[in-house]
Amino acid sequence: MKNIEKYRNAFMDALELEEDEVSEDLALGETSEWDSLGHMILISTMEDVFDVSLDSEWMSEFDSYKSGMALLDRLGVDFVNE
Amino acid sequence: MTFISIEFLIFFTAVVFMYYLIPHRFRWMLLLVASYSFYASLSGYFVLLLLISTVFSYFTGIAIEKQETKKQKKRVMLAGICVLLFFLGWFKYFNFVNDSIRALSGYMGWHYALPYQELILPLAISFYTFQAVSYLVDISRGKQKAERHFGYFSIYFAFFPQLVAGPIERAKKLLPQFKVEQTLQVENISYGMKRIAWGFFKKTLIADRLAPIVASVYDSPDPTGSQIVLATILFSIQLYADFSALSDIAIGCARMLGIRLTENFKQPHFAVSIADFWSRWHITLSTWLRDYIFVPLAKGKKKRSEIYLVIIITFLISGIWHGAAWSFVLWGLIHGIYRVFGDHTKHTRAKMAAFTRLDRLPALHTWMKIAVTFLLVCFSRVFFRSGSVADAFHHAKLFLTPSAWNPAGLIQALELFSLLDLVIFSFFFIIVQLFHYIERKNTSTWSWLSQRPAFTRYAVYILIVLSVLVFGASGRGFVYGGF
Repeated sequence: MKNIEKYRNAFMDALELEEDEVSEDLALGETSEWDSLGHMILISTMEDVFDVSLDSEWMSEFDSYKSGMALLDRLGVDFVNE
Repeated sequence: MTFISIEFLIFFTAVVFMYYLIPHRFRWMLLLVASYSFYASLSGYFVLLLLISTVFSYFTGIAIEKQETKKQKKRVMLAGICVLLFFLGWFKYFNFVNDSIRALSGYMGWHYALPYQELILPLAISFYTFQAVSYLVDISRGKQKAERHFGYFSIYFAFFPQLVAGPIERAKKLLPQFKVEQTLQVENISYGMKRIAWGFFKKTLIADRLAPIVASVYDSPDPTGSQIVLATILFSIQLYADFSALSDIAIGCARMLGIRLTENFKQPHFAVSIADFWSRWHITLSTWLRDYIFVPLAKGKKKRSEIYLVIIITFLISGIWHGAAWSFVLWGLIHGIYRVFGDHTKHTRAKMAAFTRLDRLPALHTWMKIAVTFLLVCFSRVFFRSGSVADAFHHAKLFLTPSAWNPAGLIQALELFSLLDLVIFSFFFIIVQLFHYIERKNTSTWSWLSQRPAFTRYAVYILIVLSVLVFGASGRGFVYGGF
């Protein structure tokens, strides 16, 4: 499975979203599913899926679908040339 | 020498004058002497404990940094925290644990002979211990360098404006500000004075005027339900005025020295949910609990039910931090339950709002949420204010009795006030609400005021100062000063 698919699936699993609900416009606090508690579950899921460790500063930085990708990219998760 | 005293104002004025007169390289010495003198005037016996905790945290921080692996750093950090918590536990929780074991032993028929120990709680120990814990954890996580200058470090530990009751600051924010040369800026002096005056206003005209009325009900052996309802609502207003005044004075004093402290309140009684309330009330404690308790415990949890348990634990710790009594534990538990219940029912509540078409009236919906949140907070404060668990349950039962909410009974309960007191309190309460209203419409009431004509500005400043001098009631300590 490609990383981008894993990334989308992590959103669906953690936030209990349907496939069509996961879009690039998703942001923390803008849906009832991605609230502060959902955020903790999402972070745990991302850590598991991509085998990375996200500390509290990075957790704050991960506040949208796009910023999450950028953050994981910096931690070595390749979404483009995999 | 408490904040609300002439002695403190004279002391602080002298500190400010000297601070800007002496070269920057000597200022840390001045702040250190001022901080220890201030602490000694309040809690003389425990200056040594403050110094020991400072020295211990200073060397532990350096020891953590010298470790090579993350595991070693964590081990030293945990050992350091255990020692700091031992100090806190010994002075604050020894009798709580001792009494609890004795009560349990009595119930179970066991023999338990350790008597009650006369221990005095060192002032501010809960606050400076939390600052020390955050410092050690941040070094272990690599987010903070261990401070090598013992003088600067000691000021971080004992900075007198925020030593007694916060805001609980992180070393990352405070230490660099001590090291930068602060120049005398009229804006800082002016803003600081306004915040201090506003703190005096809230403390002496709201909090200390309400305190005896609330106490007359909560200390009474047989209050009526309506009196408990009214006293609890008044206590909520008192507690906010008292604690936010303390933060205003701390922030104002620090600003006059060029130091910016973190805001601790954002109109908490206008919160629309319990989660929102905790992002507005005692913000520096909430963020501390989030970063050093909730997040580490919640990491790796992938089910809401698991996170709910972490929320309950975090609020229980918040409760026990506030006071060594089961009533505070219950208060924390109630907030934990509120938070979990709020999250668990959010979809149902959204559906109900849609079904009743309340969501089409957003202003009404918001005000309903504010009212419900405020009443939930008030109910929890029955446990916060009551002297014992038995009293708390008795008062809670009265609070929940429908007849206690009878408007006629509530109006009759207003007899707790003398007519003059009621008029004075209502007048100043309206002024505070007006201040809040302007704050909600603008970013800052002080900035808004600075754009008004000079006549209006000075009329407001004179009103604040004269009101404190003429109508201010004082002589009481701060509620959070006891934690």
